[in-house]
Amino acid sequence: MAYIEVKNLKRVYEMGKGLQVGALQGVNFNIKEGDFISVVGTSGSGKSTLLNILGGLDWGYTGKILIEGKDIKKYDPNYYRRYIVGTVFQQFYLIPSLSVEENILLPIKFQKRKDRDIEERLEYLIDMVGLNDRRKHLPKELSGGQAQRVAIARAMIDSPRIILADEPTGNLDSKTGMAILKLLEELNRVEKVTILLVTHDKEIAKFTKERITLVDGRNV
Amino acid sequence: MVEMFKYALNLVLRRKLRTVLTSLGIMIAVMLMSFILFGMTDLKSALLSELTTRFKPQELYVSGQDSMSFGGMVNAPTKEGNKKEPKILTDDLKKQIEDIDGVISVEPLLIINGLELYLEGDDVPYPSKIVASSDLPGSNHMYKDFYGEKEILDDYDIFVSKFVVSFFETTNKDIMGKKILAKSTSSGMFFSSSSKSMIDKQYEFTIVGVVDTANDAFWINNNTALDILVDLGGYDSKQDYISTIGYSQLYVNTKEGMTKKVENYIDNDLDLFVISSDTILGFVDTLTAGLTLSLILFGSISALVASIGIINTMIMSIYEQTKEIGIIKAIGASNTQVLIIFLIQSALIGLFGGILGLSITFLIMKILDPFIVDALAKQGFLDISQFFHFQLGNALIIALSSILVGILAGIYPSMKAAKLDPVKALRYE
Repeated sequence: MAYIEVKNLKRVYEMGKGLQVGALQGVNFNIKEGDFISVVGTSGSGKSTLLNILGGLDWGYTGKILIEGKDIKKYDPNYYRRYIVGTVFQQFYLIPSLSVEENILLPIKFQKRKDRDIEERLEYLIDMVGLNDRRKHLPKELSGGQAQRVAIARAMIDSPRIILADEPTGNLDSKTGMAILKLLEELNRVEKVTILLVTHDKEIAKFTKERITLVDGRNV
Repeated sequence: MVEMFKYALNLVLRRKLRTVLTSLGIMIAVMLMSFILFGMTDLKSALLSELTTRFKPQELYVSGQDSMSFGGMVNAPTKEGNKKEPKILTDDLKKQIEDIDGVISVEPLLIINGLELYLEGDDVPYPSKIVASSDLPGSNHMYKDFYGEKEILDDYDIFVSKFVVSFFETTNKDIMGKKILAKSTSSGMFFSSSSKSMIDKQYEFTIVGVVDTANDAFWINNNTALDILVDLGGYDSKQDYISTIGYSQLYVNTKEGMTKKVENYIDNDLDLFVISSDTILGFVDTLTAGLTLSLILFGSISALVASIGIINTMIMSIYEQTKEIGIIKAIGASNTQVLIIFLIQSALIGLFGGILGLSITFLIMKILDPFIVDALAKQGFLDISQFFHFQLGNALIIALSSILVGILAGIYPSMKAAKLDPVKALRYE
């Protein structure tokens, strides 16, 4: 059984005055557990819409998304965003007034239950992303690559089973971008986490085992 | 919740200047409310205690005109009062009052204005130029407190108030037996300098007692007062003065339970101006209620303005933090959690204003208290050693109210923040 099943996924935006835009027009794909897959497409192909839906930020779709056979609409949206998926954004989206450590631990602030092993998990992730000497630094004191590493560690803090990475190298130079891709690959290998990498860059897409190509809201 | 509180605190501390400026409104409201809670209650009880010591419920003060002095407080003229014709308090009227059923005694009071008063051996005159007269003994509660061996004033004896003793930097014991010299001046209210003989008048009194009255600092007996008034005004006799000018006031003592009846009779049948202890207590009530009401009014307006300030600041914060709201929602914060974070922020602004207001009030109270106590003492309220009483319980109520104002003002912006669409919020620039 596929780990993630996307069936006939459609997303239509009402633009007012009866105008509708179909961002996704029937996307179908299956992903196996532990896969590292890229979603490729040009601007306007529906990549970001797909990512927002898979990331639990947009629930206005039709069709079905099953994870381990369970419809994601059956999850509590907050639980889904905390424990099922972790999202890494192109712009990093770190909180400027919080340190590296605090940014990584930010999702924990919104949890009712407290994980006793969280400190251990933090140490492990900081070590993995190689920011041991930057843990007390603020985002403005970090390079782009370092900031993206913090964002990756933050996405991983709750040990989600899926990581969604939206153009994670888009704001980085090619060398730093490659280092980030290698970090994601390491996470995929060590943590057995399923990764969906959204990119418009076919060269970056070559880095992953498989590819889903979106054209005008459909996968081809 | 602790973590969310820390996060909200972080958000508030990021905008220190704006937080301080926003909380200024709350601060002003808190200061006004604090003055009510820490000062007004004591002011009222101090006024009441002072006045009820001097004025007993069975006593009435009668005047021929619509103004009577109560230790410095003078009734404002009223249209109602203007309907009455001013009357001369003659011996005839005094007799009529004495004959009213329920009246025990009627004591006339006289006022001489315009005398410069010197203590023997001192060339600085006392600031007040008023000498009052009465035949009441020094032990009468009107004087509140009496020091001296001779309670009844003989002719050209004088009681002086504690203020006089303190003004001439002496003691009750030392001032006893000394002379007070009274010189008529051209600057007096009642006398002009048209007659030279009037200016040169001089009288001498012997101090036989010290009393606890503030504005009415010098007391002689009625006979001496009439002597002086006749002399100064050029009247033929005391009888002539009384029938032409009349007594200043009549102090009427009534039987218990008869006061109201006597008051009504004097007011309606004799058509005189009368003031009872009820009137005085009512005056204190009106005075303190008026002050309290205005402070509450200004406090409420400040709180309202402060609330609008908080709403404005919080809405601005939403615009500034839109992306951040999107981020925290994307990593698992629920709408309720976003709502709580924003409510905590506005509550913190309220609390900050509250603490700031209380601290400044506390400081002002510490600085102003001695001056207020001094000012009240000059008005005769000598028993007040501390005007403001800082109470922790009330401070806590004020702080909690500030938080409440903050929370109420934060409801709308918080709901707006909670409802933000995370996708749109993340795209917001």
